[in-house]
Amino acid sequence: MIPSFAVLQVEAPHFHMPRLWLPLFLLWIPALLISPIVFIVIYGLSMAGRISPWRAIAVFWSILCGFPGTHVHVSTQESKVLVRIL
Amino acid sequence: MNENRRQILEMLAAGKITADEAEKLLTALEPDAAATAAEFAGKLPGSGPQSQSAAKARAKYLRVLVEADEKGKPTTVNVRVPMQLLRAGVRLASLIPMQAHDELDATLSKHGIPLTLSQIKPENLEELIDHLEDLSVDVDAKEEKAKVRVFCE
Repeated sequence: MIPSFAVLQVEAPHFHMPRLWLPLFLLWIPALLISPIVFIVIYGLSMAGRISPWRAIAVFWSILCGFPGTHVHVSTQESKVLVRIL
Repeated sequence: MNENRRQILEMLAAGKITADEAEKLLTALEPDAAATAAEFAGKLPGSGPQSQSAAKARAKYLRVLVEADEKGKPTTVNVRVPMQLLRAGVRLASLIPMQAHDELDATLSKHGIPLTLSQIKPENLEELIDHLEDLSVDVDAKEEKAKVRVFCE
């Protein structure tokens, strides 16, 4: 499953940002539109590196699909950063 | 032989029940037998790690927890990385052209990271997960204290 939402929250002593829900699924449409160009670039780079372009695409796709569930939370006494990918 | 199974066979031998009835009764006993076997296997020495390994094989995330106390200021870091992402990351190493491996290894060694990229394989990650039951590291510096926990969940 590719990422559909990202949650971002930053708190600092003089800066407070409300928790943001970023709809990543809205990026799918432009990504789909530019996918032929991306494919050509990946194909060219793979040929230059003498690796299979299909393998490269499979690895990048698995990385993209691996992001959901990522959670990073760093907090100190005065500040806090939260990043979640759903 | 199980006592219940023996009784059924004795009843069959005595002609008290038919072969079909005996079969039904034996079939009905099977879940209990399987449960008993599983229970028994759980008590056997060495079976514990196997079940733990199976549980870890199902681990979905790698979690890193850091609790640090820097000059009286507590800092916590909580990172959860999906295993799928780690596996994909390891597979990414396979995309690095072989010609670049030696150069990268030398550069990493120069920067204090003695890593051989060609040896990074998905199997290594599985092995690491198997051994990563619950790693805990305590760091004590002059004015800083930190506790790092790394585990799979």
